[in-house]
Amino acid sequence: MADVAAVREQEARIAPPAPSRLSWSWLGLVPFFLFCTAFLFLPVAFLVIGSFNDRAGNLTLQNYADLSTGIIPGAFANSIEVSLVTAVAGGVFGFLLAASVVLGGLPRVLRSGLMTFSGVASNFAGIPLALAFIFTLGTLGFLTTLLQSLGLTGFRGVNLTSKLGVEVVYMYFQFPLMVLIIAPALEGLRREWREAAENMGASAFQYWRHVALPILTPSILGAMILLFGNSFGAQATAFQLTGGTLPLVTLVISSQIRGDVLHNPGLGYAMSMGMVVIMGMSILLYTLLQRRAERWLRS
Amino acid sequence: MTTATATAAQGARRRRRGFGAWWAWVVFILGALYFILPLIGVFAHSIRTRPDIFLAYRQVFADPAFFRGLGYSFLAGLLTVVISLLIIVPTAYWVRLRVPQLRPVVEFVTLMPFVIPPVVLAFGLIRIYSQGPVRLASTDTGLNVMLVGAYVVLSFPYMYRAVDTGLAAIDVRTLTEAAQSLGSGWARILSRVIFPNLRTSLLSGAFLTLAIVIGEYTIAQVLARTTAFAPYLSLLGRNQPYQPAAVSLISFGLTWLAMILIAFLGRGSRTRVQVAGAR
Amino acid sequence: MTTKRNLTRWAGLSAASAVLIAACSTPAATTAPSVAPPASVAPSESAAASESAAAGGFEQFVPDQAMLDAAKAEGTVTTIALPHDWCNYGETISTFKERTGLEVNELDPNAGSGDEIEAIKANKDNPGPSAPDVIDVGLSFGPSAKEEGLLQAHKVATWDTIPESAKDAEGFWWGDYYGVLAFEVNTAVVPNVPQDWADLLKPEYNGQVALAGDPRTSNQAIQAVYAAALANGGSLDNAQPGLDFFKQLNDSGNLRPIIATAATVAAGETPITIRWTYNALSNRDTTAASGGPEIAVVVPASGRFAGVYVQGISAFAPHPNAAKLWQEFLYSDEGQNVWLKGYCHPIRYENLVSENKVPQEQLDKLPDVEGAVFPTLDQLNKATELITTGWDSTVGANIQ
Repeated sequence: MADVAAVREQEARIAPPAPSRLSWSWLGLVPFFLFCTAFLFLPVAFLVIGSFNDRAGNLTLQNYADLSTGIIPGAFANSIEVSLVTAVAGGVFGFLLAASVVLGGLPRVLRSGLMTFSGVASNFAGIPLALAFIFTLGTLGFLTTLLQSLGLTGFRGVNLTSKLGVEVVYMYFQFPLMVLIIAPALEGLRREWREAAENMGASAFQYWRHVALPILTPSILGAMILLFGNSFGAQATAFQLTGGTLPLVTLVISSQIRGDVLHNPGLGYAMSMGMVVIMGMSILLYTLLQRRAERWLRS
Repeated sequence: MTTATATAAQGARRRRRGFGAWWAWVVFILGALYFILPLIGVFAHSIRTRPDIFLAYRQVFADPAFFRGLGYSFLAGLLTVVISLLIIVPTAYWVRLRVPQLRPVVEFVTLMPFVIPPVVLAFGLIRIYSQGPVRLASTDTGLNVMLVGAYVVLSFPYMYRAVDTGLAAIDVRTLTEAAQSLGSGWARILSRVIFPNLRTSLLSGAFLTLAIVIGEYTIAQVLARTTAFAPYLSLLGRNQPYQPAAVSLISFGLTWLAMILIAFLGRGSRTRVQVAGAR
Repeated sequence: MTTKRNLTRWAGLSAASAVLIAACSTPAATTAPSVAPPASVAPSESAAASESAAAGGFEQFVPDQAMLDAAKAEGTVTTIALPHDWCNYGETISTFKERTGLEVNELDPNAGSGDEIEAIKANKDNPGPSAPDVIDVGLSFGPSAKEEGLLQAHKVATWDTIPESAKDAEGFWWGDYYGVLAFEVNTAVVPNVPQDWADLLKPEYNGQVALAGDPRTSNQAIQAVYAAALANGGSLDNAQPGLDFFKQLNDSGNLRPIIATAATVAAGETPITIRWTYNALSNRDTTAASGGPEIAVVVPASGRFAGVYVQGISAFAPHPNAAKLWQEFLYSDEGQNVWLKGYCHPIRYENLVSENKVPQEQLDKLPDVEGAVFPTLDQLNKATELITTGWDSTVGANIQ
């Protein structure tokens, strides 16, 4: 028992359990916060201040009041929905894709190919991506004409100008993002665990349900929140695909602060603050889920 | 029980022979189709020029500014990756080890760049650094510094998530303990123990960051970095009928090449020993 | 590491490097748009002109020496939002460089008018390369920018030849060029070319009509709706019929909500697009040069709407003298003609034609815009307000 005490003491020295008040450990985060202040917080301050100004520069709360009017609530609903769908669907298939090359025993070159390709594809967005899908699945797209010539004469192309269309196109950068983030976690699954499970008679399903997935859940959740944020902040792709007819928060914001018409930038800034709040709430939710998932892990 | 073990062993044997599970092939092929077909669509459009079907490509490659732009952005990307790694890895490590209570705060901050419109960030940077003690905005060098700084911030969500996932997969506590008991200081722990074990994560983060920097347009434009790749491309004429398609394929291909180069250079010993047992 | 792995690694590296080097060593060819040879000097007035009435011409721009010296001391002018294929700005910039020896620092060519104003505001205290000297914005932005104190006054040498309605009396902003909204049609996909607004509603054009921007933010798109009003019982004071027309267009399925670009027109995805004559004609030329399908540009028989853009000099311009010189060039006979080559009607058009300063061949290339109407600032603002706020509720494509 003296050993246990000695071990506990050593552990406490190296990495003390979460203290009731913050010790000086937070100083280690100073470089990070300094950098963020210089290049993130200070510029964002203008956004915050701007959200309380009207067109003439007077202080007002009207912008925040306007958040509940017109198409804005619908835009928030749409953005959240599209982001959730692409985060989950992107997460699931991205996970499968990563698993196929890391665990599925495919030739090694396919793995490097997928990882490097994912690097590029993760940022293939905006007008080029929208046009790529239009040139493929549009009324005169190459796939459309191919299918028509193969006999599907009634096929007139896929209408991408819809929420579903936007979600399908968004996958192009969501899948690769998931692949890149989750691959190291999959690599961390030791072969010995699989073998140990098999030795004890577990089927593949049982292995995944009781061993692998619980270990991976925190990483999967983390990756999904990233996918959510990534989709939430995307703008140019949906704009090109839908001509702005699908109200998304990012599109409404950019129509207020850019464009050729005299709009109300303050409203745009207030909407950005709204996005910040939603992001904050998502992180809270995610942190709660994370704590439950990690409960059994020695943390 | 014997049947289960037998099937599992059979599957393992098949995998060891390099054949690959059937489900892996199905998933991979579906994924490959989804990714490649749109690219074929772009290619099909870009070769509709007559009489020379590669006219669009020739026009792109004929301009030396194309490679100048790619070089500039690639360099900016590498700088961004290095700085981002140097900030994020110690931060993520420290959060995991010493201040887990601050984790939601750090994660929130790293996800902020998603919800701040890049144009607002860029103009905000100009406003700040055109007054006061640090007048970065009045010189080219200063603007370059601001650009890299902004890009590092843009890379935070991806870099942090990649590194954090990697840290989750290795046993940070035990590694640190072991290193400390052998007399290592923090710097050595980070450079000799943590960094090497995060190879895949670091590569992922590097890929993501590089892709972002090469493709980034708005901030580069606002900061008047017109040599950068994406701003240069926009001068080619967004209202050309076939060139933009050729351009997007070319930059896709070149960026992929850059990733492959980095992957090769970053490949370490495949036979590294994984320290510490199961969590 | 085994030798085999080593070999593969180096083979891959060499291959990748070889490709990169090969790509990098393509012979450096011409840079962007080649400079047009300077126009031949022709007598601008006098008896000789009436003889060569069919061969009008203009003189090269000769900068005023004092202004040139002051500008040279600054060395460069910073422009923003000038795509090279918009009104032939590419040639404008290269010709300016030739005539004055100054550099041109080109900022974001895709910037909208709002971005240009924001750029001035954000760079108020900044003399660096990111601060624009001159802006080219939509008509409504002229007065509002003046009100916010973002512009400085300057009257170019040819000030008096600019129509009264297209400039600020005190010289803070002044019109630069105009165009008329037209249909850009891909004749390979649409052999039966629509001639007027009403034609667009025909069922044969199902899913084929598109706008070149979002009618809530893009000048071009908003004024397309305004133009449709003129052809549908509306007037410059009443833009509502335009919204109704587009509602009809959308309900019938003829309106395709994607943003049209030259690429989508050439590909046939948006074979009928509504945009300014100068953009449509420029697209027609570049598509033809690439061997693409033949584009027809049709100015609608009724509902001819002219849109004006305006120039201004930033009050905080880091290079005010260079900016003034730039303006002098733009409003010289040569500068105006360069715009004209890009199919834009320069603001001094009437004056130039009456003095026979436009080469006949250029005149022939311009589209017939007889009967085009210009809204006043008030009419424009009112219509813009109506269209941007009413688009969602009236036309509101119900996206699922």
